[in-house]
Amino acid sequence: MSTPTNQPSPKNWYKWFDPRGRDLGTWAFILNRLTALGLTFYLFLHLIVLGQLAIGPDAYDQFVELLHSPVFIFGELLVVIAGIYHGLNGLRVGLTSFGIAIPYQKQIFIGLLILTIIGSIYFGITMFTA
Amino acid sequence: MDMSHHQKDLWTVTFRVFRQKGNAAGHYDTFKLEVNPDEYVIDAVERIWAYHDRTLAFAHACHHSTCGACGMRVNGVEKLTCITPIHTVAKNGGITQVDPLRNFPVVSDLVVDMGSLYQRMEQVGHRPVLPLPEEPAGLPVRKNNGNEYVRLSDCIECGLCISACPVALSTPGYIGPAVLAGALQHGIKAAPALLALVDSEDGVWRCHSAFECTKACPSYVEPGTKIMQLRKQVVGERFANLFRSNR
Amino acid sequence: MIATKSVPKSGEGMWLWLIKIVSGALIILLLGLHFFVNHTGLVSITENGLLTHEGVVQYYANPIVPTIEILFLIFVISHSLIGLRSILLDLKPSRAALNVINWVFTLVGVVAIAYGIWLVFKILSFLPA
Repeated sequence: MSTPTNQPSPKNWYKWFDPRGRDLGTWAFILNRLTALGLTFYLFLHLIVLGQLAIGPDAYDQFVELLHSPVFIFGELLVVIAGIYHGLNGLRVGLTSFGIAIPYQKQIFIGLLILTIIGSIYFGITMFTA
Repeated sequence: MDMSHHQKDLWTVTFRVFRQKGNAAGHYDTFKLEVNPDEYVIDAVERIWAYHDRTLAFAHACHHSTCGACGMRVNGVEKLTCITPIHTVAKNGGITQVDPLRNFPVVSDLVVDMGSLYQRMEQVGHRPVLPLPEEPAGLPVRKNNGNEYVRLSDCIECGLCISACPVALSTPGYIGPAVLAGALQHGIKAAPALLALVDSEDGVWRCHSAFECTKACPSYVEPGTKIMQLRKQVVGERFANLFRSNR
Repeated sequence: MIATKSVPKSGEGMWLWLIKIVSGALIILLLGLHFFVNHTGLVSITENGLLTHEGVVQYYANPIVPTIEILFLIFVISHSLIGLRSILLDLKPSRAALNVINWVFTLVGVVAIAYGIWLVFKILSFLPA
């Protein structure tokens, strides 16, 4: 009971996602982490689901029918948005990690957020009107 | 702008200050103060201690951003309180919250135990005073009667960067931005023994590029940038080692 | 003599990080390519596209496709698992827990890649001889 408060601890993990009092860099960190988890979940789901291809034409074509439901399309849209953000921020991390454009890392982040929003709107429209 | 301090309108600011003694749970005490908004947050804290509550514990020394003692979180944001004017963190009639730094154990009220930081700074050989040519500030080197000029290192070991770092939030073992930046003072080439320290599971690879450390630093150290530079040095040294004969 | 070889406690922090960065960059390239080929009309793959079984099988008939898809799989699995491991490292696992994580992730990675390669060949097996 005599543990001092405020210590670094794995129990603080949920605080990773608390942006209060923090700068844009924390948003980059939070969104990168969330999209990473989302994309990983999708990755393994995708691998399993593609197993339908191995079973044969009927199984696969049946599965593709499912894909036309709005729930699935929305899910795929989320994956696309997550992929855009994660990829672009990954570029930012990669660049700064090699010492490129570090003084502009904030501007780059804002730029990639805008690109993500534009991409989201574009794919949202094309995916739901196809 | 009328700079006559005698005539300066005082502000009424309520300070919500984190308190914790011993093993009791933390809580907040509020103090209403009349303050000159051009004064600094540390002045307000000191006044609270002097005139309102002598049991308030807080760390401070130089009051001019050299000792690194007075780091706190003001409205949740890391600040060096001796150079944080009250008007930048308060409104006339408003409430300003003061908390201790994150990621260090609270000793009492606003005082945290910075031992881990100081020990690690020593481990990487960070020198608070160093000869001019060794501080990469691009300054011309002049001699003073044959002696080299020395300067204070940018890093004042205030701990704001560690408080702001999201990795330090959950990992006590993470060396931390200040220390990694400090390791760059010697650099890997000059001190290869540093390699084991920074090229470890708790070292330079744990940074997730939030750059909160650079934002929080009151002393232009830019720890985020230095971590990336250190990475380049480590990668360079490790690759070079691959081609060196066994030592 | 000062030792110049570093000994990270849990296995190479630097190499895993480098693989993460490089695989990340390659994924962006391959994903861009994948998108361009599959979803724009500029490169006509098949009459049926990828939404029918037959379309997928025809698509894989071109040997570039299985090559790129398998490479893509290897990069994505590596990047994803190394990234997951980084997140778990931030939770301060014990030496024993980290060992378990390393083994499980390596296993999952190998199995996933093997499964993917098997799947590619299974798809190819549907090609008319």
